[in-house]
Formats: sequence, structure tokens, C-alpha cells
Amino acid sequence: MMSRRKFLLLTGAAAAGAFLTPQISAKTQFIESPEEVEAKRRWGMAVDVEKCTECMEELIAKTGNPEVKPPCVVACDKENNVPEFEEKRIDPQWMRIAKLELDKPGINPKEFYIPLLCNHCEHPPCVQVCLTQASFKRPDGIVEIDMHRCIGCRYCMIACPYGARSFNFRDPREGLKEVNPNVQMRTEGVVEKCTFCVHRIDEAIAKGEEPIPACVEACHKYGKGALVFGNVKDPNSEISKILRENIVVQLRANLGTDPHVFYTKLGGE
Amino acid sequence: MAVEFKKIEGDSIQYFALVIVLAAVTASGFYAYVLDHEIAGLNGLSNRVPWGIVNAGIPYFIGLSAGSLIVSALAGVFNIKKYKVFSRIAAYMAAAWIIAAILSIALDIGKLYHFMNAVRYFNPTSIFSWNAFLYSSYFVICSVYLLVQFEEMERATRFMAGLAVFWAVLVHSGTGAIYSFVYSKELYHSALTPPMFIVCAITSGLGLLLANLYFTFRFTKRELDPKLIRGLALIFAGLMMILGYFLAVEGFEKGYIPALHEAVQFVFLTPTSGVFWSFWLLVIFGIAIPVIIVLNPKTGYDLRWISFAGILHAALVFAERFYLIVPGQVFPEEYLPGYKIESLHTLEGYIVTYTPTIIEWLQIIGLIAMVYLIFVVGVKVFALIPERAVEEVVEE
Repeated sequence: MMSRRKFLLLTGAAAAGAFLTPQISAKTQFIESPEEVEAKRRWGMAVDVEKCTECMEELIAKTGNPEVKPPCVVACDKENNVPEFEEKRIDPQWMRIAKLELDKPGINPKEFYIPLLCNHCEHPPCVQVCLTQASFKRPDGIVEIDMHRCIGCRYCMIACPYGARSFNFRDPREGLKEVNPNVQMRTEGVVEKCTFCVHRIDEAIAKGEEPIPACVEACHKYGKGALVFGNVKDPNSEISKILRENIVVQLRANLGTDPHVFYTKLGGE
Repeated sequence: MAVEFKKIEGDSIQYFALVIVLAAVTASGFYAYVLDHEIAGLNGLSNRVPWGIVNAGIPYFIGLSAGSLIVSALAGVFNIKKYKVFSRIAAYMAAAWIIAAILSIALDIGKLYHFMNAVRYFNPTSIFSWNAFLYSSYFVICSVYLLVQFEEMERATRFMAGLAVFWAVLVHSGTGAIYSFVYSKELYHSALTPPMFIVCAITSGLGLLLANLYFTFRFTKRELDPKLIRGLALIFAGLMMILGYFLAVEGFEKGYIPALHEAVQFVFLTPTSGVFWSFWLLVIFGIAIPVIIVLNPKTGYDLRWISFAGILHAALVFAERFYLIVPGQVFPEEYLPGYKIESLHTLEGYIVTYTPTIIEWLQIIGLIAMVYLIFVVGVKVFALIPERAVEEVVEE
């Protein structure tokens, strides 16, 4: 038989534990408040289309494969556990290369190559339409998906103007040779897409380093250095300089989504 | 009492055979779902066409529900006594169709065990999120409306009828907005879709109700006055013509925009694609022929012909849903206006195909069978059908 005193002590301790634990963890989890982050950082990517085209042309000439995956795409697939399936129809792809050509080839037959990825929009349509707020935008501008919340309705795929999202028709593990344990594994039945390598960004910020996504790293190591990633809110960052000094094109800017992947040197200026 | 509602006996061999057949088809639909999710590649969906016919089932079933309910409530709201004979059957069907619609969502989503997240987490900017609330509340309203009818509560019935019509319009406009407010696809975006959805809902709901009434009264050997059906059939034909008008306006508007010429050419004039057929089959067999059947004096008074027109139209409204959902997905978006973009690693930039597989069709057919199973069991359990539906009796 428990004494009244013991009972009160125990319930009191349990209540305090239930009340205090989230308070303590909430304090320890966030180093900066969302407002501070929003004021300080906004991630974006700049693409030098000229360099990208050069790299792709060389690669295609060397391999003879018009659908060759350049270092950036290979690195992305490997880093983020993006599976590889035979059937293009259902193969998820976070980053892909597209061939670009003026609609009037008689006037300018030149072909360009550009990478396509999630644009991490300022006003993301996917976040707007998501039923469960599984798709959300972080204060630093990265659009992410909470895989535990996603119900797989695919409304976001319909709403995304950039085809950035893939649905897992199959379990991604079936299409992976090796798994990167640093990146969350997805299951069948949810939607996935590029995260700007959010795990790398968070790690770098915690260490006080400059973050670099896998594709950008590979592009500089093995490619032509066409991709530049950085904080557009920092006027001294490399990306800010590039955006200031070039004619910058955003995809489907007319929709007002304000995408944060910027294409430069489209006309070869 | 002017109208006497009565349960059916439901002890004939034919009745039980019908129940067994419907139950078997329903079960096969759910089995198709299980197969679809256990074995990859059984459906025709892709990363370019993530919404197929199981998704099209959502607006289709909601349309049938809303249409059925609006017809039912005609009697209550406007106090048209002669249509009161149908009010219970229509309200009951409305509740059954909304169950099919909600199940269609459940079958369509990728993570069924995350389904409750749609109710737990609300996103105020998501139209689908609003609809999750609207659909469930709509089902409750349908049920209460039916209940007050069973209890013969006159005033409550009139109030609930008004509320139900309002809610049906809200629910179905919301469903239309899920698709038509998508601005990323030029072929989706149209302010005409929600009103078109309402018209389409009433026509398809009415068409199916006409056939339903005819077969129910015939099967139960009760009296049905052709004059009553004729009145409904004329409303049916008139609204079908309005639907045709909406489709024409929308098509011509899109065709007027030079940027959309290629897309419009693909949708309306390319017979090699399923999209072309979904549109023209709808126009010819879903609108033109049913309208002719109803308006032609030789066939327009015959209950069998009217039922046929009703079924034909209701079935082809499914093509309308296909025409709404699929073209915007199979036709590529222009990422950089003025430039042609072809992806090396995905199918972006190409016209893709979507052919629904038997596994997908079975899920839709299974849900339809389930609704009729609910109906067939319902007429035995509840007093849904009037003993006789004759104009004079009702207007006494």
C-alpha cells in the first residue's frame, strides 16, 4: 500500500517531468530562433549554363551516351540515396540534366544543358497545397518533406511547376546498391525531392563552416565548377556577387513562386 | 400521409443473387488495391502522371453524391411536392457516394496508415485540406438529413435540405478547385471548372438517379408515373446542354491563346491520344446522344430510353474527369518560355502516355459496386422507396 505522501511525490515528479522535459529540450535544440535564421540566411544556387553545357558536351562526346549522368547527378544520387530503376517512368530523380534549345532552331540551333532540381521557392506551391503540412519551408528557405506526415496524395507533384518531385512507386531500397546512413531513408508511397543536402548544411552551420551540397562539391571537383551554392542574404558571398554581376534567369518566374535556383550565362554573355 | 415509404421484402433468390454479385465485385476492387500496392508496376501511373483514374474517382463520386443530393433536396427547399417521392432514395445515395469518394482518396494515397494525418493536421492554404473537412461534414449532413426524413420531421427536413444543398455546392466547388486552382499546369487552370463541376454533378447524379428509379420500381414491381420522370429528364437534358456550353467556352478560350496552340491541338485534334477520345466520347455519347434521346418525342417519354440516356451520361462523366485530370499531366510544361526543354534522365519535356490498367479500373468498378451494394441492402433495411410514385397521389 502506497502512502499518501509517496503518491503525491510521485505524481508531482511525473507532472514536473512531463512539463519540464520539452521545455529543456526546446531550449537546447535551437541555437538560433527562426527569426534570427530568417534574417541571416537564405540558401540559393547559381548555375553557369555556359560551363554546364561545356561539361555535358565533353562528357557526351567522351562516353558516346547522350543520356550520361554528369558528376553532379551521380553525386546527388549517391549522397541522398536516390534509387536507380530501369523504368524511367517511375525512377525518382532529385537532380537531372535537361537539353535546352530555342523554340526556333532556324534562328539559333545551339543546344544548352542545364541542371533541374528543386527550386526551393520563396512561395512554394507544394507547401501551399500540402494537405498535412508535410511539405514545409524552413526559415533559411529550404523546402523539405516530413516523411512521417506525408500521406502520398501527390498533390504537391501536380502543383510543382518544375517537376521537381518524385513519388516512390517502389521501395527505394530495391534500387540502391549502397546506403548513405547520414541521409534519411524513405519508404514506398511517399514523395521525395532535392533538399539542397540539408544534412550537410546543418552540420556545416553547427561547425561554423561554409556548407556545400554534394552536387556542387562534385561539380567543382570533377566538372567545370558551373554550380555555386550559398547564402543570398550575405552580400559578400560568392553567389551574391554572381547574382549582382549577371543577367539572371529564374524558371517560370511569371508564376510568382520566386525560385532560388538562378541560371546565368544563358546567352553566353 | 401523401407519400407512403416502405421497405422491400428482399427474400427472393434474385435479390440474394444481386447482393452476392455486388459483394463479389466490391471485394475484387479492394483486392485489386492490395495487389496494386504490393506489386510495383501494376498501375499506369508515373512521375509525370501521378494522378490517374483512381484519383479521378474522387471528383466523380463526389459529383454523383452532390448531384443526387441536390435533386433530393429540390423537394425540400422549393417544396416541390411531386418530387418528394424521390427524396429519401436520393439522400441515401448521396451518403453512399460520398463514402465511395472518401474511399477513393484512401485507395489513391500512397501511405494509407498516414491517412489520419489529413484530419489531424490542417493546412489553411490547401484546398484539399479544406475538403477533408468538407467531405466528412458533408457525410454527417447527409445522414442527419436522411434521419429527419425517416422521423417525418417536416420543418427539420426543410432546414436540412437547404443546408445540404448549400453544403453540396460548397463541397463540389471545393473539389473542382483542387484541380482548377493548380497554376503550374496551363491545361488545369480554369475558373470555369468549379461551376462546371456543379452542373456536371447535377447531370450525372440526375442521370444515374433516373435509371436507378426506373430499375428499382420495376424490380420491386411498384408504380412509377412516367410524367414524374419526364419532368426530371427535361431538367437533365437542359443541364447537359449547359455543360456542353461550358466545355465549348473553355476550349475556345484556351485555343485563342497562341502559347497554348500546341497543347490545344494535342488535346482536341490528336486521335492517337486517350485524351482526345475522353473529350470527344464525352461530347458525343455523354452529351449529344443523351440530349437527343430525351428531346426526341419518340424516345423521350419512354422510361427505358431515359434510363439509358441517364446511364450513358453518368458513365461518360467519368471521361470528363479523365479529360480534366490527365491532359495537364501528359502535356509537358514549359519551364523556360520560348525554349524547348528535354530532360536526359526523366520524361520531362516529352508528351507522355497514361493508360489506366485493369487493376486501376477494378478499383473504380469495385467502389461503384460497393455503392449499389449499400443501396440494395439499404432498401431492405430502411423505408426508402415509396409504395407508388404517381403525380396525382402526391399532389393531394
